[in-house]
Amino acid sequence: MQVLNTDVAIVGGGAAGCYAALNLHRAGHKAVIVCKGLVGKSGASIFAGNLVLSGRALGNSEEQARNTAEFLIKYHNQFLIDQRWARRCGQWIENVYYPELEEAGLYLRRDEQGHVVTSPGKIRSVAANVQGNSGVPFMDLRRKQVIKAQIPRLEETAVTALLRKPDGSVGGVFGLDVISGEYVVLLARAVILATGYSDRLHARSTGTREMSGDGIAMAWRVGAAMANLEMQWWHTNDIADPPAWQRMQVYPNPMLGSDKSARMVNSAGEEFFNQQQDDPLAYGPYTVQLKALARQVHAGKARYDGGYFAGFDHCDPREVDAYTTYGKSYRQLGLRFPEELVEAAVTAHYRQGGIDVDPETMRSSVPGLYVAGGLGGHSNGLIGLATYDGKVVADGVAADLARLPPCDLPEAEIERERRRLEELRVSRADGIAPAQVKERVRAMMWEKVGVEKSAASLTSALDDIAEIRLTLLPRLSVKRTARGTNYEWLDAIDVINMVDACELIIQSSLERKESRGPFMRRDFPLQDNARWLVANVMQRTENGFRFEQRPYELPFFQPGFVTRDNLEVAW
Amino acid sequence: MVSDAPVIAPSSPLPVGDARRLGQIEQHDTLAARNSRLAVGDLLTVRVRRFDGTAELQEFQVPYRKWMRVLDALNWIADNAASDLAYRWFCGSKMCGTCAVRMNGREVLACWEAVEPEMTLEPLRNLPVVRDLLVDRAPFERKVAELEPWLERRAPYPSFPEPLSHKDMKDASKALDCIGCMCCYSACPVIGLGDLTDFAGPAPLVQLGQTALDPRNHDVKIAHSLARTGIFHCVSCYKCEEVCPAAIPIVSQVIEPLKAKAAALLPKMAKHPRALRAVVALRGRVDPSALVLRVQGWRVLGNLPRALRLLVRGKIDPIKTLLRRKTSAAAAAARLLEGKGRR
Repeated sequence: MQVLNTDVAIVGGGAAGCYAALNLHRAGHKAVIVCKGLVGKSGASIFAGNLVLSGRALGNSEEQARNTAEFLIKYHNQFLIDQRWARRCGQWIENVYYPELEEAGLYLRRDEQGHVVTSPGKIRSVAANVQGNSGVPFMDLRRKQVIKAQIPRLEETAVTALLRKPDGSVGGVFGLDVISGEYVVLLARAVILATGYSDRLHARSTGTREMSGDGIAMAWRVGAAMANLEMQWWHTNDIADPPAWQRMQVYPNPMLGSDKSARMVNSAGEEFFNQQQDDPLAYGPYTVQLKALARQVHAGKARYDGGYFAGFDHCDPREVDAYTTYGKSYRQLGLRFPEELVEAAVTAHYRQGGIDVDPETMRSSVPGLYVAGGLGGHSNGLIGLATYDGKVVADGVAADLARLPPCDLPEAEIERERRRLEELRVSRADGIAPAQVKERVRAMMWEKVGVEKSAASLTSALDDIAEIRLTLLPRLSVKRTARGTNYEWLDAIDVINMVDACELIIQSSLERKESRGPFMRRDFPLQDNARWLVANVMQRTENGFRFEQRPYELPFFQPGFVTRDNLEVAW
Repeated sequence: MVSDAPVIAPSSPLPVGDARRLGQIEQHDTLAARNSRLAVGDLLTVRVRRFDGTAELQEFQVPYRKWMRVLDALNWIADNAASDLAYRWFCGSKMCGTCAVRMNGREVLACWEAVEPEMTLEPLRNLPVVRDLLVDRAPFERKVAELEPWLERRAPYPSFPEPLSHKDMKDASKALDCIGCMCCYSACPVIGLGDLTDFAGPAPLVQLGQTALDPRNHDVKIAHSLARTGIFHCVSCYKCEEVCPAAIPIVSQVIEPLKAKAAALLPKMAKHPRALRAVVALRGRVDPSALVLRVQGWRVLGNLPRALRLLVRGKIDPIKTLLRRKTSAAAAAARLLEGKGRR
């Protein structure tokens, strides 16, 4: 077992984790990134298709500046956001983020004359090199910045537990190097969790292979409070088949250099979503789209898992190909592009909720534990927001470091975690493969905690969770018991986190008795701003949990109604 | 000429001048064709090279499902037949670049490539195999880091947005499509020679090209990086370009422009290619004795036995070289090499 010491342990190598590491490094603090995949190559950040402009950046008018803020608060977070944080974040994106990225070398796509190519409309986007693929060069740049700064990376290393100091504060992490099979202990004065939104909990989800709700599960085990875990976002037009492509989106956002975007057609061949008509101002197409699909599902003209189609058959292929990668999947499937449409399906995308944090410092409710990016419960994804979190958390941690003592080796905790993991690396005659249990959990979440849910489906999901805990988790069994490259062992570790995270999400979903944006309850179809314009905070207690409501202040934008059928609300 | 083979129309006009697609139509090897060969429920025969200290091929029958990719087949095997199969993937949608394998001897991105009715899956070459299809990426990562592929500006950054056009970034932009999957690294015959050369390999060069072909970068920085690439060991065989799932014109738009930069910034490094070019421009053909003289100079005297051997075998002809008869080929070569059409 390797034991390492550092000032700050950062769990996660995406936009938030990398930026936090770079900022801490710049401020003279030692940081180590522990990443379950590869820094800048796994996780959610590589999926950032385009980059939203903010404020007055790049000649945005006053109206466009205001629209971006409104988009973020209303369409992107359904008012479940600290509006002052949103304002600070917007100003930072405008004044720091873009100049800093470009100075470091990020290529924001230009045309032949040298103008930065944007999408038109009330909210404008730019792309790193090419729209649909921006996250790849973006994160590649971050990876190289981390390498250049010589910030140590522990890659393909799964953090399995947060380690605590005697006073209960978090002071390190316990991990498994998946390739060698060796354990590693990283002691630190503070830990930043930046594992991304907790995806891959549903049969269809955009999260990458390694994402399994680890951040939520580990933080809950050390007593961190959660916020708005039920607020799950969905992609409405991801490719239905093949299965490995379920996280490939037919982007609904306007294309760079064009006012057009993908349109959607139901099983009867009728168009039911076309951004130019349904959302001409590019206001948060995602929720608008999802609600349009829900109406089709209710009318029997589509299913959430397929039976409807998306594509660009109303566009000139040269227009699509000029600045986007959107044609590539069609061509790779052998479809005629743009004449043919592809079958689409819903996919669980990022979770707006997560670990409850103070957005001024990114402190969680547990001393020594900080959170940044999609895992935090204070805002929805977007790579710019996740990056801003990386800055805020670095500032927050740096300010606290003097007060956070180094952590002594917590031998008892380490021994307990070591034993827990060893017990998962066994082969049993009547055993069940961890990957099968993962599939079972995902199928259950899709069926009962999918786009539309009710008290009945959620209660039934809780029964399933109890049954999985009782009958399946004790029988987890791996075929090969060697330590190194044992992905079954990793699956066993993952599935326990998944079950824990799912249970919290289901409980939170039961608690919110309304529908809001992408959160749809069949038994509570109304959006209820009188009772539920609040953070749904889940606190851990001695014998379980309790919920608390924390109202949001509405200094800049207000919903403008008290209750309304959620499907009738644009956002 | 009329062929009896069924003509499969390409789904859209295929780009020309791109090595990856040359010959595809003639061989009826389009994705439309590959995707239509199998029906749902057909059994694929998949042989996977398993390695855990010793290597063996293990065979699986995998039911075809709609639009099945190689990765879907691997996932089916892991879920249903060999839960201990080791292979790497994260995103499944051509972004993370970690799932590349060799299918029937050709490098493919598992998440992107259609399955074949019979396929043998092996790990990438030129990288150490950890287990089964899982390779150790460390040698590649080390090479990339050694090349320091980052920007050191020739002038202070002005403000956002800085003056820059896509014309300036055309080659770098192609390199920016790289997902680091290492298909090209596995396919490269020069990398296959191991330590015999100091060639960095196509993937590290593409990674370097992202910033070395960027006009904002400083020449001193670029030269410093290029000096460590061994770039002139590239034999321009286009194997890298052929397998690149991101369709990057690796030779024509990355390695060739990098070679040109190296020749300009580090003339000593490019002694051999510069001599070759000068000889061809002068004579319209490769003249081995002129080439040897230009590259080796007086050192050639120390190699007399070898020169004699070459002479005896007719590989060099000093008489012809000395007589220097100008041909029309020489005029054409000079026009091509020194006139327009060259960067």
